[in-house]
Amino acid sequence: MSSTRPGGENPAAPSFRIRAQQLEKLPPCQAQCPNSGDVRGWLGVIAQHKKNKLTLDEAYDKAWQILAELNPLPATIGRICPHPCEDLCSRRDKDGAISINAMERFLGDWAISRSLPLPRAGAAKYAESIGVIGSGPASLSFAYQMARRGYDVTMYEKHEFPGGMLRHAIPDYRLPREILDAEVERVLDMNISLVRNIDVGSSVDLEKLRDKHTLIFLGLGAQGARELGIPGEQGPGVISGIDYLQHRKRQPESQHGKQVLVVGGGNTAIDAARSARRDGASVTLLYRRSETEMPAAAHEVEDARTEGVEFRFLVSPTRIVRDGSEIRELHMQEMRLAEADEQGRRRPVSIPGRVQKIAADVVIVAVAQAPDWEGMGVLAGGQEWLHTRDDGKLDEDIWAGGDDRGPGIASKAIAQGRYAAEAAHAELRGQENPRERSARKAIHNGAVKMDFYSEQQRTVGCRRSQQERLSDPESEIDQTISYEQACQEASRCMSCGLCFDCQQCFMYCNKAGFTRIDETRPGNYFVLALEACEGCGKCIEVCPCAYLEARDR
Amino acid sequence: MRMAEDLGLARDVGRKAQESQAWALQDGSRIAVIGAGPAGSMFSYFFLTMAETIGLDVGVDMYEPRRFCHRGPAGCNHCGGVVSETLIQRLATEGIMLPDSVVQRGIESYTLHMDVGDVEIATPLMEKRIAAIYRGNGPRQSVPLDTHSFDGYLLQLAEQKGARIISRLVTDVRREEDLMSVHCADQHCDQYELVVVASGVNSRLSEMLESQSHNFKRPARTKTFICEFHLGREVIRETFGPSMHVFLLDIPRLEFAALIPKGDYVTLCLLGDDIDDELMERFFSSPEVQNRFPGAIIPEHACHCYPRINIRAAVPAYGDRLVMIGDSGSTRLFKDGIGAAYKTAKAAAKTAVFHGVGAENFERHYAPLCQKINRDNQVGKFVFSVASLVQKARFARRGILHMTANEQKQTVSPRRMSDVLWDLFSGSESYTNVFLRTLHPAYIGSLLKNLVVGNLPGSAGRNAHSSSQENGHVQH
Repeated sequence: MSSTRPGGENPAAPSFRIRAQQLEKLPPCQAQCPNSGDVRGWLGVIAQHKKNKLTLDEAYDKAWQILAELNPLPATIGRICPHPCEDLCSRRDKDGAISINAMERFLGDWAISRSLPLPRAGAAKYAESIGVIGSGPASLSFAYQMARRGYDVTMYEKHEFPGGMLRHAIPDYRLPREILDAEVERVLDMNISLVRNIDVGSSVDLEKLRDKHTLIFLGLGAQGARELGIPGEQGPGVISGIDYLQHRKRQPESQHGKQVLVVGGGNTAIDAARSARRDGASVTLLYRRSETEMPAAAHEVEDARTEGVEFRFLVSPTRIVRDGSEIRELHMQEMRLAEADEQGRRRPVSIPGRVQKIAADVVIVAVAQAPDWEGMGVLAGGQEWLHTRDDGKLDEDIWAGGDDRGPGIASKAIAQGRYAAEAAHAELRGQENPRERSARKAIHNGAVKMDFYSEQQRTVGCRRSQQERLSDPESEIDQTISYEQACQEASRCMSCGLCFDCQQCFMYCNKAGFTRIDETRPGNYFVLALEACEGCGKCIEVCPCAYLEARDR
Repeated sequence: MRMAEDLGLARDVGRKAQESQAWALQDGSRIAVIGAGPAGSMFSYFFLTMAETIGLDVGVDMYEPRRFCHRGPAGCNHCGGVVSETLIQRLATEGIMLPDSVVQRGIESYTLHMDVGDVEIATPLMEKRIAAIYRGNGPRQSVPLDTHSFDGYLLQLAEQKGARIISRLVTDVRREEDLMSVHCADQHCDQYELVVVASGVNSRLSEMLESQSHNFKRPARTKTFICEFHLGREVIRETFGPSMHVFLLDIPRLEFAALIPKGDYVTLCLLGDDIDDELMERFFSSPEVQNRFPGAIIPEHACHCYPRINIRAAVPAYGDRLVMIGDSGSTRLFKDGIGAAYKTAKAAAKTAVFHGVGAENFERHYAPLCQKINRDNQVGKFVFSVASLVQKARFARRGILHMTANEQKQTVSPRRMSDVLWDLFSGSESYTNVFLRTLHPAYIGSLLKNLVVGNLPGSAGRNAHSSSQENGHVQH
């Protein structure tokens, strides 16, 4: 605004016009989701189902379809995802973030119980043949996205059963096998051929597959474990976190020691420590930084603590001492935190002369993982990870996603598989690369009018007690929320940046500038006629979700 | 479309003879008040107070989705924000003591600006003083104020009395099975023995009600303009002083224009017949207005809105289990809307508690007040049309200026013109009362004399163009 000098070039009356526009914004949940999931979209279908003349059953079906467009494994991700989407939820500081993860899980289970098929994208059929190496989340996501678009997809898996790390490393108490089976089966039902027990790189040459398929996707994961490189590490009783979890899944009855030390601070370390507790061992987790720097999800750390895992922070193993071949103890150097490194994490440095000893009979090393390049090293060009284009393109006919491009959570792997499929499809069809389209404007902090929304407590699913968890080690800890709870929880969504039909603009506009649309859906309830607008700006101010905003003058 | 009978609106009730006990509220009855402006809050306050005295236990739900703690139009109820001391005192006798943080006293005079000169009219009597209030939490772009919202304060009183505030937007009211049902935007629905509509004329609720009934006519409205300028306390003290500045300008359709100092801000209020861009342009172009501001520059504004006001009452303003109060029903033309909200809220509450909630009860005990207000507004319309004629006639303006200025110089004799103007501008008295005083022979005589003297060559008002404020003096 500027002051106006009467009698000058400008009219004497300053401009008293604030013109509104309806502009959908990117909500924080979606901005935070590695897979850019349309959380607000599928929550809105449930929360506003009556307005849009849907039964609750129909709304759940529809919500699941929106969810499954981008993620074919909602029941799985709804169980294991550390849900960064909830971290910046607008409701977080009011009465708790929306239980997005619990909602996703509910919808996933809902779809399994109703045998809902995954949504296809059109009826086209393409001649190109697609080969997918690996069957973890990135590969499943890529294969699904290509198959639903009409491509012929063949998936090659080293082991007998598909699922990658989801199957081999995630303990059953977090992800029951039947849930994963149901969701993987549904992906394969998209007419995807699965070739089992084939190790590309050793039992079949990659070049052969390149000749056979128009395009290859690499979802190899990162199943090679790094070692500590300390004296005494080589020998019985030392096992990598990933090997331990895989072995335990394959042979649940096997025993792995009474006094177990787990080295590392990531989710694999936590899974290993909690699994060892379930096998009856006393478990101590050693981490060289403090709890704040732990990359593992905070609630997993808390669960591990509840289940009796001991934590020793700011210690770094220096030697494993053995009695013959048996492990006796571990020596560790005390550490302190120095200044932050380039990633912003404080660097641990040793405190000279401060060494502790701790008794152990098994040491699980879960410090880091990296891809195993056996037979395919040429693709990585001698580097530890694959360096692809942002959309996952590595070579003319090779795309990649998941942990072989760098460690990350399963949602990120699903996202990378999807982005690669979208880009590959666009390239095969000679279309514009979808990732290059302009992004939506993010909603700015404080734009949502919190006090419009009344208090409503966050819904949480039931959890098994510590005693139950340890007495029935493989039983799932978290329970799915109920049919009624899911609807209740969806109604807590503030619909940040998208109209949810609060009708305030409609009711308070003195010029009747807002007209109700006949066929409504979330985000689409009113049209705004600017020719009627007198520019008071009241609609913008009463809009609680910041969907309405002022146009630039 | 539902019929009039469905909504229970009845112009001719035809059952006046005997009030039926069937309409009496019982212990456990529930009533809904739609809108928590002054009318809604005062109704709830009076209703609950009266019900308590007779041991009647009735639940009051007040529907209001907006928050008066918000700045700008979202938290405001759109008016110039002037209340008379008479009303403040009257509320005090009702037990509603407005704290200093809500009422900004300090307006000690009116300054009348005309092309022929200015005149400052000092407060005639202490009880006729006026005060400024913020309906919400101040202008759109303001820093949080050290004042509190007037509407917010009244709502708090109602809540303390036991009203339940429901943060929902009511989109429809229907008659269902001999009860009234209230429907909200979020699909919430509830039934009540009485629905009190106090949603004003800046919401579409009365339009919804009208669309349901052949007989009900919602209030007629006209567009006004309110805006806030940030000038800072010091500048305001120097340029505006403790005075509300009223403009009597020859601009068609403009009935009333005033600049009201309020702390760091000045509120501009334009009332008339459909205030539009052309009228505003003419207003801001006039030297009398420009000269009010430092450097004769209209500063940037911090907030503005185009509120509608009620210029003809709802007909009828009641039905079985339904009553419209404040701006939704009958209010005073242009002035003292809060005073009318107080009167209608109290009368409706009294009817509901002591007589019943049927159309016949409201017809006997509520309608007379509405009729009285409506009749007074007819007189008001006439008074404002005379004022419009004065605005058009320069000689008349000179006469009024001369008469008022002379009165302000005297201390004892009756200040007939000053008092008429004060009461007209402040809304302290009914239009009928103001009009009757203008029929007094002494008033007429004095006016005629001043019309002559004020237009004589060399008189103070002649050839005056610029205006500045000086107590009781006409300026060249």
